[in-house]
This record gives sequence, structure tokens and C-alpha cells, in this order.
Amino acid sequence: MRALVLAPLALAVCLAAAPALALDAPTKLVDYDIQVELHPDTKLVDGTETLRWTNPSGDRVADLKFHLYWNAFRNNRSTFFKESGGQLRGDKADVEKGWGYVDVTSMAWNGQELAKGFRFESPDDGNPDDRTVLSVALPRPVEAHETIELKIAWKGKVPRVFARAGYVRDFFFFGQWFPKIGVYEPAGLRRRTTSGWNCHQYHANSEFYADWGDYKVSMTLPERFVVASAGAKVDEKKAGGKKTVTFVQKDIHDFAWTTDPRYVVKEDVFDPAKDLPQEEVEKVSKLLGRSPAELRAGFHPVTLRFYMQPDHEKQWLKYQGAQKWALAWFGLYAFPYPYAQVSVIDPPEDGLGAGGMEYQTLYTVGTNKWLGRWPLNKVRFPEMVAIHEFGHGYWYGLVASNEFEESWMDEGVNSFTEAEMCDRKYGMFLEFPFGVGFQDEHTQRLIVTSHDYDPIITSSWGYASGNSYGRNSYPRTATAITQIRRMVGEERFWRGFRAYAERWRFDHPTSEDFFDAIQAGAFGPASPARDAAPGQATLTGASVLGQADVVMPLKTDNPAFTAREYRGLIRRTFYGTGFVDFRVLEARSDELAGEFTGFNDLRKATNFTEDLKDKKKKKDKDKKKDKDKGPWETRVIVGRDGDIVLPVDVVLTFENGKTYRTTWDGHGKWLRLRTTYNSRLAKVEVDPEQKVVMDGDPWNNARHLKDWKGPSAARKVQAYAVHLAQIVFSSLWAIGL
Amino acid sequence: MTSKKSSPFSAGLSSALAFPRLAGVLWLLLAAVGLLVYVALKGAVKPFDDGPFREAILQGWSSWGMASWIGFKSREMAVSMPVIYFCALVFFLLHLYVTAGVLRVLVLGVHRPVLRRVLSEGASLFRPTLWATLRFAISLAFWEALLVAAPLSLFEKLAGDDPIPNDVWAVTSELWTVVVGAIVLFNVMARYDLARIALAKDDAPTARGAYRVAKERLRGARPSAIGLLLAWLVVSAVLQVLFTNLGIRMNPSTGAGLALFVVVRQLGFFLLAMSRVGFWGALMAWEEARRPVPLPMPVWKPWVPEKVAAPEPAVLEPAVEPAPEDVPAPPQEQLG
Repeated sequence: MRALVLAPLALAVCLAAAPALALDAPTKLVDYDIQVELHPDTKLVDGTETLRWTNPSGDRVADLKFHLYWNAFRNNRSTFFKESGGQLRGDKADVEKGWGYVDVTSMAWNGQELAKGFRFESPDDGNPDDRTVLSVALPRPVEAHETIELKIAWKGKVPRVFARAGYVRDFFFFGQWFPKIGVYEPAGLRRRTTSGWNCHQYHANSEFYADWGDYKVSMTLPERFVVASAGAKVDEKKAGGKKTVTFVQKDIHDFAWTTDPRYVVKEDVFDPAKDLPQEEVEKVSKLLGRSPAELRAGFHPVTLRFYMQPDHEKQWLKYQGAQKWALAWFGLYAFPYPYAQVSVIDPPEDGLGAGGMEYQTLYTVGTNKWLGRWPLNKVRFPEMVAIHEFGHGYWYGLVASNEFEESWMDEGVNSFTEAEMCDRKYGMFLEFPFGVGFQDEHTQRLIVTSHDYDPIITSSWGYASGNSYGRNSYPRTATAITQIRRMVGEERFWRGFRAYAERWRFDHPTSEDFFDAIQAGAFGPASPARDAAPGQATLTGASVLGQADVVMPLKTDNPAFTAREYRGLIRRTFYGTGFVDFRVLEARSDELAGEFTGFNDLRKATNFTEDLKDKKKKKDKDKKKDKDKGPWETRVIVGRDGDIVLPVDVVLTFENGKTYRTTWDGHGKWLRLRTTYNSRLAKVEVDPEQKVVMDGDPWNNARHLKDWKGPSAARKVQAYAVHLAQIVFSSLWAIGL
Repeated sequence: MTSKKSSPFSAGLSSALAFPRLAGVLWLLLAAVGLLVYVALKGAVKPFDDGPFREAILQGWSSWGMASWIGFKSREMAVSMPVIYFCALVFFLLHLYVTAGVLRVLVLGVHRPVLRRVLSEGASLFRPTLWATLRFAISLAFWEALLVAAPLSLFEKLAGDDPIPNDVWAVTSELWTVVVGAIVLFNVMARYDLARIALAKDDAPTARGAYRVAKERLRGARPSAIGLLLAWLVVSAVLQVLFTNLGIRMNPSTGAGLALFVVVRQLGFFLLAMSRVGFWGALMAWEEARRPVPLPMPVWKPWVPEKVAAPEPAVLEPAVEPAPEDVPAPPQEQLG
């Protein structure tokens, strides 16, 4: 009875309190004390862990769920293997020798063995052969808010690396490597209406989700191995040719480590006094309306360790620069990094299956030796990966969204911040000789060249294909967030963004939490949308221009983009497969007839003959006399394909150099502009500042009227292309032909 | 004719300066094919004037302009590509034809009329040149496979299973590929170029014969031939990089600027063509120095009968009669 009363009340309190609470530390529900011994020759691991778990809900929990992620690599019947076809990001599984597993050999609670209650579950696809979710029936339920202690023993075999974790030669990467308890979500968390376990199978496209807690991990392995780990090393003991190294990290939900005798370790420190750019502090101070002192507070020195392969040693400087910039940027636009260290891991070139992956206080990158040499040293792929993977330390790490169910909150938000950081620091992240290159944001924007079959918000295994998962989770989300930013303006966007980050750090947000935070920052808390008039809008008449031939000032944010349009955009992109394509449908300027011709009000024929038998043709004097003197009637029609409604600027440029700008709110399918003016229309441009980044085809956004003269960009491109061809052809001379 | 005392490189420089019209013929070929490519691309680049990136492209490189063109207009480009591939094939064949004629004209030392002469001489040499080029391609493939690819497989085996990336075997393989690959290429190239010179000089009527002649020329002197090849390759590369850089930096944004850009770039290609003529001149001078010294030819003289001296009067010397005692006295005639 009490539960019936309290539960809805608790739910209401949680939902009401959600916008206001910001956590300085997570609610910790787990405490892991793990000991593991690695046998490098056999690739076997023996592990024990003491897990203290707290029931976060008011329920009595009768069973426990554990992730056994490495069983995805157990055989070709696992869900992961079936969905992925035995490959991830182009790396293939070694089906002859590379299988791995993790087996819980014992689990005891209060001295009582629980192994009899073990059962594998497949809550997502019902695959009876999948072993990545272990359900443990308990002899008695765990009471509400009770903390239990489990002693777990397990054995594992390290798979050959192709999907994040594994080995190649003496390089070992341990990610998601131990029996890891799932998340028991009480009602109210992530807007759940009922409590329950959130413990999904390991899918080809999914990543991870876990509870916050403290970790202490001791690894025993041969002395020659260099160990890199999340957290800080607190102890090292050597005996009999082996060493046991202990690391501790608090307030995290994931713990990874790696070892390789070949690691070359480089250390540095992020020192806010030196590495926090003053101009950036001032810029953000104006943007967010906070004082520089307030922004600087919370920054502290962070130890940076780079574990490099010997053949990439010099490239650590690339990672160092990227890492320091990322620490500065995130600290200003989100919140200062709370941990004391970051470890950056460089896997060997044939172990890149472990590369490009995030864990807390540690992440892996990936490069090859050519990227450190001219002319590829400005192809900033290593830097981009470092910024991206460190960014995951925020989106998924500190703001711990559920990567299984809402992959966009991690990958998409991170892709957005990655592009912002890369383009700000490097200009062009893909830079080739002779000044040719591309910005990161532009490569992401190319996603609009084709339409989607899935909404952005789809469970990671629910997309039509791996390609759809990749498109929607990464670039489509990043482009949609960029669109929101362009529409609401810089100040409003970043204030909402920082508010989201600060509110949801150390917590588990959902999609709506992100949308609410941005909406509150952009339009004020819970602002209803203004109603816009439906149907097409027309602007007519000479009064539009008349004598006031001025260029309207450029707007930085658009008052026609209200909370209503914002929610419409969310609905059609994040919850739908919508698209938008503005285009110029018609653009013409016709000289008005000069002399009056026809019947006047007195029924008198003027400038033509009534006599139908008169075969004399009246010479058209207008042709020569008043040609090209105007005025002209200009008519422009702009259309909108797709179902996303966004306001868009339309600019008319006339031959006399004057321009006319207006903003169409995007409602209705077309906008017609009509005016009479004493100069001919030269060109029409829709969205000249490219604020509509989701436009499905920017190439139909402009029309130049055919007799407008000016330098030709087409000829320039043509000339350069021809010269490129001539360079290629003349290379025959170089090879002696 | 080159002075026996000047080096082949300087002989090549002299040729380059002395035969600008030959370079002009080469350049003309390049310009003509460039024009074909220009026409082929007309449709593909039209959106740059009609679309929203006109001003940005005129100012210089536009990341979103070019990225979106690649993303949104790849179909227009794809339509042009077959024509461009066709242009490449046409250029290749015409190039063989024209360069054969250029070589022959260079051998003959003809300064005018060049174009007509190149075309007519090229006609007779085209077929053997084609065969020689085919042999070049096959030789190159064969020697690269034998001397580069095969050792690389061996290195891979020696490296064992799971070799450490970029270890000594990997680095050795890379260095081997570059160094030995280049040596093989230049060797095959040198023989091919000398074979073409042999064809131009009529030292052999067929590609096979020309290759034999080339082999003879190279005997004991490959390094110097390859050195000459490398030197002129460097000259070409420097010209190409310089003018490409200059062209990029010009970044024309007006019609006049674009015209100047075209002129400057074509000047670059013309100089490149001159360097190619220079190379052939240099190689010809090198080859001249290696030609075997010919046996002196018998000189024909008109027959002039020899003057016969009047015989001296005969001097009759008495016959040596036998001594009387030697000869029985003749019987005395008795008269009775």
C-alpha cells in the first residue's frame, strides 16, 4: 500500500526535480575489487572480484543480471557474431584461432553458492545460443536500498582483437572484460514508469551502459609488460618474474586496461594556467554570460599519459595537442574534467580493432606511420580520433546515457562536439598539399545526400542495418544538432548545451532531457510555440522595395524559429525520417510593356486596329524605343520539399547591385515574391549563409538569370581540372614514355 | 651534332634550347587533349555558376562547396569520366606517335617545318614504337615481379606469423620496394629510350632489333645512362612542382586572372616539353659517345692506267761458247 502511494509521489518528485538538480558526484551503486592474472602465452585470464551492489529502488529484487560481454566472441552463434558477420569496422574475427569467452565459475553471497541459479537470457532477440547476459536467481530478494556483497570467480580467454577487446602478439586490451552487473533502473530514472533491469545483449551495433561506482583492480602478469589502466596506480609488487599492479579509480562506470611490453610512455600535464587559452575563456564568458573567474574555477591539472607504439613514438605530440585542446574546450563548454588523469593508448597497426574506443579516464586512438610523415601529416585523423574518443569521456562517460537504447546521445552529440573542436583548432581536419582540404563538419553534413529509413532514436540493434546505425547515430545527429544551433543562435544554444551537461553529469539522461535543456536555453523554460500562420506567404508590391533600396541586416538567430518549430524539427529528425530541401522554383524578370495597348475605358482602340481585315501589322515601336529601360516585374518562387519546417532567408540581387532580403518561415510548400522595380533581377539565393545545414541539396538554392555576366566559377574549376589532367598526362614524360 | 667534349647533360640543354619548335609540338598535343577534357567537363562544372558557391569558389577553395559537389553532383562527374578516360587513351597513343616523330626530327636536326615533319616521320615509326612500348610494359612487369614482388614474398615469410608492424622486415620490404623498384624501372626505361633512339636513327627497323642495339649501348655503362635519366627527371619534377604551386597561388577570381593563369600554366607545360626534348638530346649525345667506331670505308678512285716506260734496248751478250777444248774440233776437211 505504502509503495502504491509513495511510488507515484517519488516519480512526480523525480520528474519535477529533474530540471533543477545537478550532481557533483554520482550516485554510486557498485564497488568492484577485482584481481586478475593474465597468462600471456595461453591468453587465459583468471579473475576474482568482490562486487558490492546497492539496490537503488524501492523494490525487492529477486534476481541479478550480469553482462558477460566477451561471450560475444565465444562462437559463431552469438548475437554479436550473427549480426556483425564476424567483423566490426572492417576488422574480421579470426575464426580459426581467435575465439574468446568469459565464464563465471562461482558466485557466492553470504557464503552461499549461487551457480545453481545461473541462466543465460536473450531479452532482445531470444537467441538461445547467446551467452552475453547471465541471470542469477537469488535465494532471497535483495531488499529496497540494500547493499549486497558478491564474491565472484571467473575464467576468461582473451579473443584475438577485432571488436574492441583482445590481443595481438603481446598486446592485450581489456575492455568490458569482467562480469559486470547490469543497471537496475528504478521508476523515474530515464523517465521509466516501472522499475526493472536494463541489461541488454551485446549487439554488433551496441555499446555499453552501467552504474556508477568505485573500482580497484589488481593485475598480475609477467614483469616485462607495461600496464596502462583507468585510474591511478597505487601499488606495484614484484615476485618470481611477475608483478602485481593495482589501480584505483572512483566515480566511474567502466574500467579498462591494457598491456604491451612495447609501450613507450610519454607523460605531460594539462596545466590550466598555461593550457587554457585566454581568448577562449573570454569568448565563452560572453557567450554564456559567466565571468572568466567562474569559468576557470573547477579546472585543475590533469596528468596525461600516452602509451605509444615505438614506430609511432613521435606522433604523441599530435595526441598531446589534441588532448589539451579537448580538456580546455570541454571544460568551458560543458564542465571541467573531474578526474586526475587521462591515459591515451596507441594500439599496434594490426591491432586497430581495439583502436578508436572510449573508456573512462582512458581511451584508444589509432594511427599508422605514414600519418606522421609529409604529405599526410596534415591529414589530422589521429587528432580527430583523440578528440572524439576523449569526448566520449563526457558523452557516455560523465553524462552516462544508455548507449544500447539511445546511441545518438553518445555518438551523435560527440560527433557534433568533435567537429566543433577539430574545425576550430585545425581549420581543415583533412588537409592535403596545395591548400586543399575539408572541414569535419562538412564531411558530416554530406549525410543529407541520401534519405534515411530509421529515426535517429532507435535502439542500436533495431536499425535496418549497420549502415543505418552509423548514419543516424553519428553524422545525422551531429547535423541535426548543428541545425538547432544555427536556428536558435550561438548564445542560446551554448547556454542550453552547458546546462544540459552540468545537470546530467554523473547521471543517466534520456533523449528528452537533452531536448528539454536546449529548449530551455533557447526559448526559456517550458515556452509554448508561437502559432505561425499556415499556408503560403506572399510579399507583393513595389512598396517592398520602392525607394528604400537597402540591404537588410544579417540576422544571427531567427525569430521565426520558435519552440514549435524546434519541436517539429525534433519530431521529424530524432523521431522521424524527415528531410528538407529548399529550392528556387522560378525566377524571372520581365520588362513591363511601355505604351498602353488595347481598349480604354471609352472603348476606344489604342495602339491597335479594330479592323480584323486590316492586314497591316502595326510596327512595334516599343521594341526599339524603350528597350531595356524598365521597369521590370520580378517574380520569384521558392519551394520546400520534405516535411521539416524551418525558416529560411531569401535574397534577391538586382543588376544595379541592390539586394532585397526576407525570411520565409517555411510553413507551406512555397513562397512567391513579386515586385516591380527599375532594375532587372540578377540572381536569387535561398539560405545564402547556409544556416539550413540539413538542406537536402544546396545546389538548387540559387539561380542566376541567364544574361547576368560576371566572372565564371565554372570556368575556373574547369581550368583547374584540365590542368590536373594535363599534369597526369604529362607524367608519361617523367616515366620515360 | 654535339661536340665530343661537352657532357650529355649539357648537350641535352643545348638541344632543348635549339629545338623549341619540337617542344612546341609536344605541348600542342598536351594542349589539344586538354581542350577535349575542357569540353568534356563543361556539363559537370556548370552548377558552379548556377549554384550558391559561385562567389566562394572565385575567392578560392571552399570546403563545403567542393565537398557538396562531390557528394551531390557525383553523377554529373561520372558522366564526364568515360570521355576523360577516352582522352587519356587518345593522348597515350598520339603521344607515342608524336614522340617517335620528334625523335626522328631531332636525329635529323631539322628545325623547320617541324610539325609536318614530325607527323610524317612518326607515321613510319609508329608501329615499331608501339611494339617497343608493349615490350617496355611487359619487361617492367616481369622484372618488377621477379626482383621486387618475389623478394617481398620471401621477406613476408621470413617475418613469420604475426610480425610486429614496421619491424625490420617491414622496413626492409618498403625500402626494397622503393629502391629496387626504382632501379628496375630506370633500367627498363633506359633500354626502352635507347631502343626508341635506335629506331629513330634507323639502327634497327624493328623493336626487337632496336632493343638489341640498346642492350649493346648499355653494356658496361648502365649507371651513367640511369644517372642521366634521373637528372632530367629531377628537372621535370622541379618544373612541374614550381608551376603547379604558382598556379595554385594565383587563385584567379576574374576572367583576366583566369586567362593569365592558363597562360602561365601552359608556359609551364611548354618548359616541361622542352625538358623532355632536352632529355632525348642528352641521351642521344650519350648514345653517340657509345657507338662503336666504324671501320674505314674503302675510298673509290678513278682508274688511271699506269705509264709504261720505254723498254731499254736489249743488250745481247755473247753467248758463252764452250771452250774449244770442250768441243771436239770439227773434223778438218781434207781436200784432196
